[in-house]
Amino acid sequence: MSFIQARDLSFSYSPAEPNVINKLNLTIEKGSFVAVLGHNGCGKSTLAKLLCGILLPASGKVLVDGLDTAHEEKSFEIRKKCGMIFQNPDNQLVASVVEEDIAFAPENLGLPREEIRKRVDSALETVGMTEYARHATYKLSGGQKQRIAIAGVLAMSPECIIFDEATSMLDPNGRKEITAAMKRLNKEMGITVVTITHYMNEAVEADRIVVMNQGEIVADGTPEEIFTQVEKLHSVALDVPQVTELLYLLEKDGADTPRGVLHAMDAAEVITKLYKNTRSD
Amino acid sequence: MLKDVTFGQYYPGNSLLHRTDPRIKMIMMIEYLVIILMANSVPAVLLGMGLTLFLMVCSGVRFSVLIKSVKPLIFVLIFTAVINLFFTAGGGDPLVQLGFIKIYKQGIRNAVMMLIRLLSLVLGTSVLISFTTSPLELTDSIESLLSPLKKIGVPVHEFAMMMSIALRFIPTLIEETNKIISAQKSRCADFESGNIISRVKALIPILIPLFVSAVRRAEELADAMECRCYHGGEGRTKLKVMKASASDYVFLFCVTAVIVGIVFLNKIYFLI
Amino acid sequence: MNAIELKDISVIYGENTPFRKAALNNINVEFPKGMTTGIIGHTGSGKSTLASLLNGLLTPTSGKVLLGGRDIWEKPKEMVKIRSRVGLVFQYPEYQLFDETVEADIAFGPKNIKLSDAEIKERVALAARFCGLSERELKRSPFELSGGQKRRAAIAGVLAMRPEVLVLDEPAAGLDPRGREEILGGLQEYKNTYGATLIIISHSMEDIAKYADRILVMKNGEVYMQGTTEEIFMQAEKLFDADLDLPQITKLFIELKKRGICESSDVYTVKYAKNMLEKILGINNA
Repeated sequence: MSFIQARDLSFSYSPAEPNVINKLNLTIEKGSFVAVLGHNGCGKSTLAKLLCGILLPASGKVLVDGLDTAHEEKSFEIRKKCGMIFQNPDNQLVASVVEEDIAFAPENLGLPREEIRKRVDSALETVGMTEYARHATYKLSGGQKQRIAIAGVLAMSPECIIFDEATSMLDPNGRKEITAAMKRLNKEMGITVVTITHYMNEAVEADRIVVMNQGEIVADGTPEEIFTQVEKLHSVALDVPQVTELLYLLEKDGADTPRGVLHAMDAAEVITKLYKNTRSD
Repeated sequence: MLKDVTFGQYYPGNSLLHRTDPRIKMIMMIEYLVIILMANSVPAVLLGMGLTLFLMVCSGVRFSVLIKSVKPLIFVLIFTAVINLFFTAGGGDPLVQLGFIKIYKQGIRNAVMMLIRLLSLVLGTSVLISFTTSPLELTDSIESLLSPLKKIGVPVHEFAMMMSIALRFIPTLIEETNKIISAQKSRCADFESGNIISRVKALIPILIPLFVSAVRRAEELADAMECRCYHGGEGRTKLKVMKASASDYVFLFCVTAVIVGIVFLNKIYFLI
Repeated sequence: MNAIELKDISVIYGENTPFRKAALNNINVEFPKGMTTGIIGHTGSGKSTLASLLNGLLTPTSGKVLLGGRDIWEKPKEMVKIRSRVGLVFQYPEYQLFDETVEADIAFGPKNIKLSDAEIKERVALAARFCGLSERELKRSPFELSGGQKRRAAIAGVLAMRPEVLVLDEPAAGLDPRGREEILGGLQEYKNTYGATLIIISHSMEDIAKYADRILVMKNGEVYMQGTTEEIFMQAEKLFDADLDLPQITKLFIELKKRGICESSDVYTVKYAKNMLEKILGINNA
């Protein structure tokens, strides 16, 4: 079942400029984990904002769980269903104390106090920050701030969360924390996760990768399918994991290597096989 | 230099003052301010000092932290005391006379009183409000205390929200300012020499990036708030419903009693 | 010869208070002239503190910073001169842009060190070239540029002072592969042209492997490891112990070595890996 649908979606920041998003069609299934991959300025962040209704399409349509984002009276419903995590951890925390920040969304929803308390506690537990409930937000690390932001969105009980380059300002540990959280939200809680990124290692974790270039989708498939298309990714200024690149280069020189190998261990298997073949010849 | 600013810094805790209804604390603070400024006799000032110490203990904030919060103000404190010491005349013959400088008994008294008053003022308000009240509690209590004004069309909720966001971003912007200063210093910018005009001009490379970044932050925050279903104060509930308990009123009563005592002592001993 | 070195440096915050914290603990580091040194380590390991010591933004609690053999704190009044010789680019430097045009912004540093107008013009043009900024971009407002262009304009602003030592804190953070390449490649070119010394703080092991001649690993305010890129990446276990990563390709070769397929695991770049494997597997790439 589809959760978000973009139909012939176009958008431009001013009529004089070319379209940032150009007649794009995309369907995101309920409960899926999708990575939208593309270089800086390819329109992926604009797409994220269109998908959750912060921006409205110039032409075409976005449907979130059947609701058209262009209908203003539906915007409250849509935001409740589809949360968003932004790039800069500092600019999305509203309150100075962790639990007060997480309570912000349920407070806006007008929930009764006991329910807010329950949601705040369970959201904190999900992101593993229970002990920080009374801490000041500005003293946390970048990764912790992003986890609080995730908890803040979780407290709305959304069906979908869009991560707009949510890891790009974090250090490797912070990035790992957030990628792990995304996976958990998707696999354990059944939340639809869309992550917008240009990091390969993050995209590899998703079930499906959508590659964007100049406001259009240029490739769409599982990570294995996407990373077999090494030339295509290079042509849109993207990299592949080092071992994928290595096996691709070996193949170009005549070795019989499978494509779409993403992890070091799998690559070791492939090379061991090749090695044994050369010995037995 | 900017690192030492502790204003708006909340120290999470669970002390008596942390647990007190923020509205009660607001009322106590107003009483406290009035009285510290009014206290004019030695016993009254002493009693005020006692009250300040009592509040400090009630806050559960470590003394070393409190002392650190006063540190940036030392210059102002000493300056005020010295002015009082040298420029208070009268009350009989001068005790010390060095050239044109004359120190009177009255001057010493005023200097000491002023020092104690200012210290109490800073320490008292910081333990009553900034250290023990989270900015959100503070703004909630302002919203609650001012809520009668809503009836005559004053946007009380919006005002409180703006204030709480401003408080939330103080540490972020201080950090950012330090970063920009370091970056421009690394490009050999000189903020320390030259006349007033060139010094003011030297601030441009700091102020413009700071302003640009504040606007960017504001835009992003607005998006993030909207995404979390913010739609003004209407129909909003609160995680923390402020409810003054009996012990809050007892606390308020005690502080008020002390304050009445100070007024009383002021009257009796005014002539000392 | 060392372009710049740290001798017995400690940086302690809040000495004699209960909040005492040693950001750097008696470290000795050498940065050889004309080489690129990569600094790796976790957030809070002291990397950024180290960077701000090098151009005198931060005063060490004890120890000396020697630039070309001379203590930079010898004449504190001449610190501006030191800062023009040791360029420091902070993380997300695009937030320091302020002037009306990119050109004027890049000229800010050279103007502060009171160069002649002709000299400034020449340096701005050169710095812009290293950073891949076109004539047209120079005339625009820095606030109209794309993220990657802003970053390059900010770096050009430091390059224009023509520093002999250039320290960069995560210069490519948040950029896509092409953006990283443009910046790191431009820096390499600058280094080769002027024989400058590069010091790059980075979390990306792949970038470090590709560009650094030497690596300094920091941990808890101390030097954990220091040596050539080969020497450091050869000690994979020690890096893992510090919870640091290796380039993916190196991980592959450690595994291949374990399996007895190849003898050495000091492979850090895809190109080198390809040549080595083709030899082992007998693939001809005529």
